Amino acid sequence: MYIQPEIIVVVTAFAVLGMEMFLPPRQRVLQTPVCLLGLSIALAAVVYLMIQGDGNFLGGQFLFDGVAGWFKVSFLLAGLLTVLLSADLLNGRFKIVPGQNRVLIHRGEFYTVVLFNLVGSMFLISATNLINLYVCLELATIPLFALVAWRRDDPLSCEAGLKYIILGATSSAVVLFGLGLLYGLSGSVDLFTMGDNLSFGPATKLAIAMVVVGVGFKLTLVPFHMWAADVYRGAPLPVAAYLSVASKAAGLAFMFQLFYRVLGNVLLDVSMALAVLAAVTMTLGNLVAVVQANVKRFMAFSAISQAGYLIMGFLDPSGAPSMVYYMLVYVVTNMVVFGVLVFYLNETGREEIEDYRGLSRTNPWIALVMMLGLFSLAGIPPLSGFVGKFFLFSVASKAGFHWLVAVAAVNSTISLYYYLRIVRQMYIEPGLGDDPPIRASASIVTALAVSTVLMVVLGIVPFFYETIYEQTHNWIAVAGIRGGMAE
Amino acid sequence: MSWLSLLILIPFATALAVVATPDSKWYVRRWVALFGTGVVLALSLVMSVSYMQAVLQRGGDASMLTISQMEFEQSVPWFKSMGIEYHVGVDGIAMAMIVLTAIIIFTGVLASWEVKERSREFYAFLLVLVTGVFGVFISVDLFLFFLFYEVAVLPMYLLIGVWGTGRKEYSAMKLTLMLMVGSALVLVGMLALYHAAGSQTFDLNKLAMVDYSRDLQQWVFPCVFVGFGVLGALFPFHTWSPDGHASAPTAVSMLHAGVLMKLGGYGVLRVAVYLMPEGAKQWALFFLVLTTINIVYGAYAAIRQTDLKYFTAYSSVSHCGFVLFGLCSLNLMGFKGAVIQMFSHGIMTGLFFGLIGMVYGRSKTRDLTKMGGLSKRIPWLATSFYIAGLASLGLPGLSGFVAESTVFLGGFFGNPWVDSTTMRICTLLATSSIVVTAVYVLRGLSRVFQGPMTKSEFSQMQDATIPEKLCTGILVATLAVVGMYPPVLIDLIEHAIVPIANRF
Repeated sequence: MYIQPEIIVVVTAFAVLGMEMFLPPRQRVLQTPVCLLGLSIALAAVVYLMIQGDGNFLGGQFLFDGVAGWFKVSFLLAGLLTVLLSADLLNGRFKIVPGQNRVLIHRGEFYTVVLFNLVGSMFLISATNLINLYVCLELATIPLFALVAWRRDDPLSCEAGLKYIILGATSSAVVLFGLGLLYGLSGSVDLFTMGDNLSFGPATKLAIAMVVVGVGFKLTLVPFHMWAADVYRGAPLPVAAYLSVASKAAGLAFMFQLFYRVLGNVLLDVSMALAVLAAVTMTLGNLVAVVQANVKRFMAFSAISQAGYLIMGFLDPSGAPSMVYYMLVYVVTNMVVFGVLVFYLNETGREEIEDYRGLSRTNPWIALVMMLGLFSLAGIPPLSGFVGKFFLFSVASKAGFHWLVAVAAVNSTISLYYYLRIVRQMYIEPGLGDDPPIRASASIVTALAVSTVLMVVLGIVPFFYETIYEQTHNWIAVAGIRGGMAE
Repeated sequence: MSWLSLLILIPFATALAVVATPDSKWYVRRWVALFGTGVVLALSLVMSVSYMQAVLQRGGDASMLTISQMEFEQSVPWFKSMGIEYHVGVDGIAMAMIVLTAIIIFTGVLASWEVKERSREFYAFLLVLVTGVFGVFISVDLFLFFLFYEVAVLPMYLLIGVWGTGRKEYSAMKLTLMLMVGSALVLVGMLALYHAAGSQTFDLNKLAMVDYSRDLQQWVFPCVFVGFGVLGALFPFHTWSPDGHASAPTAVSMLHAGVLMKLGGYGVLRVAVYLMPEGAKQWALFFLVLTTINIVYGAYAAIRQTDLKYFTAYSSVSHCGFVLFGLCSLNLMGFKGAVIQMFSHGIMTGLFFGLIGMVYGRSKTRDLTKMGGLSKRIPWLATSFYIAGLASLGLPGLSGFVAESTVFLGGFFGNPWVDSTTMRICTLLATSSIVVTAVYVLRGLSRVFQGPMTKSEFSQMQDATIPEKLCTGILVATLAVVGMYPPVLIDLIEHAIVPIANRF
């Protein structure tokens, strides 16, 4: 059996739901620790399985390997941090500001939906069958619609949910069309058989284009990014945080499954198109982020640009480890920044970039953490964001896309400009007055501490990247990419 | 563990110690910082002596080498699959730069003795910055080199932005972004080299053994040259420098003009020229002309300035031009001159900016036209200022003369890849800038220190305090020692330059 982590998460989800039904409201606070405990056990189970080695279940329908393990680690980390970040809102610990709706209700249901979504992503990377793959993709998407529109009486939240569901459904349809074409071209639903049978041709191109539309929606690749800013703005902030990392990781997992297993033979034929997509995504994301005043929208565009860097890894067969590594780095780094945003929004009700002025005087440690998080996103050493980006750029350079490396590196500079805008508010601008230091709740402190430590450690300790490299190395060999890994 | 690692560990540990100091005791921090940097200074001097001994002991005929010989080497695998190592080691050039950095940061802490506002962050950022600078100089692995290079650039933003003066936010942002675009170019180039060499190693000396194709060198060389050149104030990418220097607080200006701009020249020498001799030959003429413009333009621009800091900043642009000019002459003499100039200009400009800070603290103005007759009240500072000025116009007996004359000789010798007439014309133009330098330095200084006192408040001025005397004293002494007895520096760097020059 290699399915224990998924089972644990599902059991936790039902346990939390059961508590919602049977416990009196006051005792429902316990759902948070139960949720954390379940996810931690699942994480431990994943790590245990990774040490045990690869294996499959259900006659090969469910495959657990190194890449799947690392993706599940990313998903579970994102889940854990999201649960921590949403605790304050669910506990009713936030500043009430007129005109702002900040309530988050139904703790048990909220966690259940998050956990189901998580399970969908976890199955996604382990599926070896086209139909399973699609169902998992839906499970990794549909609960998010509900999460985004969680505040039913908030127009912004509902608008965001509606926007998300319409675009999400459309892109799902397009993906399904693409998958249908792939099935027709290869005559199989088994991913490996499909990969063997597929050859490059006009219909394959069309299928790839359609699949990219769907992935583009989840990964927020330009021009399929339109939903991001409004959804991030309207959704409850912890949900936006979850969206920015878990949903993206799920998109990347889907891309891994299709690009390496099914399209492995033809991947290098479309690398030019991917390179252009990456360049456009990062450039547009970065340029638009420059003019944002609201931190949520700001982070939306920052996340778009990060997706652009991420897919540079597909340009060369040796890029898989860099992408898995960067995904992990991105999850913890983005959670650091979102952790501070959630903290500040909850405690003060402020969400404009200018509102961060003077934070380094009132809360020097939080400001420092925020600065490190932003620097890591911008790719400043010695933080893990730098190392991750460096490896991705190296992939593009290896594939001969030197112009793309230049575009990406200049983009990093642009991104530094807007990340520095927040740093400037925190450090350079005088404060709003003699604000007393803001106290952070235990859950926020834990989330920030865990993610910050991970963010720093990932970049300095080579263990993580080297392990990912070794395990991904095998993975690519199994998937049989043309050209294989460089050795 | 190599002793070299201490050079980055001590400043970093000092930064942490500064952070740990209690809120109420700001004056403890400066002592902590002074102690940490003092240890580093002592360590760097001891190491340069033992470096010389090691070189002598090694013996053998070094004149035919084409690969740099490193001392105090240590190599620990880091990201093995990429071939990235924590590989440190120094040759004479790096050693000279390390001594320079240690002197500047030590005196920089002395010059910022009175920083009280948010002094915890100030010293912490300053020390992190220095950690980065030391890191660059001790790196043999290109990845490590690049990593430290970026670490050295970023704290500058906050140091200027928070503690600076004038249009500090604009200057800080401009400086950071221009330098980061430069490093983007470097990144493109270094990744191309890495993959062309087989994606196995970032070790500079191993990369140097690879024969890169002419086509590759043709486009990578200018990328890397310009990328580092931005930091070395290469015309027309020098515009961050005057604004940045003018806005920065004293110690930061000292460190930036004194050391950080040298990272540019050092990078050009270590990465561009060392790894890509073919590219250097093809592009020598182009960059020679640019650097000549650098020198001449910087000098003329300095004449027009009325703000003491802008005045010195433009003079820095001109003097840093000499560094790049020397590198473009592609011969032993030129390289040697460039490295001496890096050292000499580092000390000289550190002295300049330190003194400007001290004078500004007293006069509350940096406007040349508003000052006058200060030497009556502050003779120590005035004398030091004159010495710095004389060094900058190349007076024999001070280090500037040694550096500039070597650069000119290198330029005059020329090389087979650039037409010798063009080369000599460029050299002559560059030499002529000395005259312009004399004009602006002497005019500027006499306006500030000579003549009648322009304001009554000036008569209340006090001369240098003890930390200030120590700061300026050390710098002046260094200028004089190198000027009077150049072998102290030349012996240190000669062995390291020969292998690079032999590649041509």
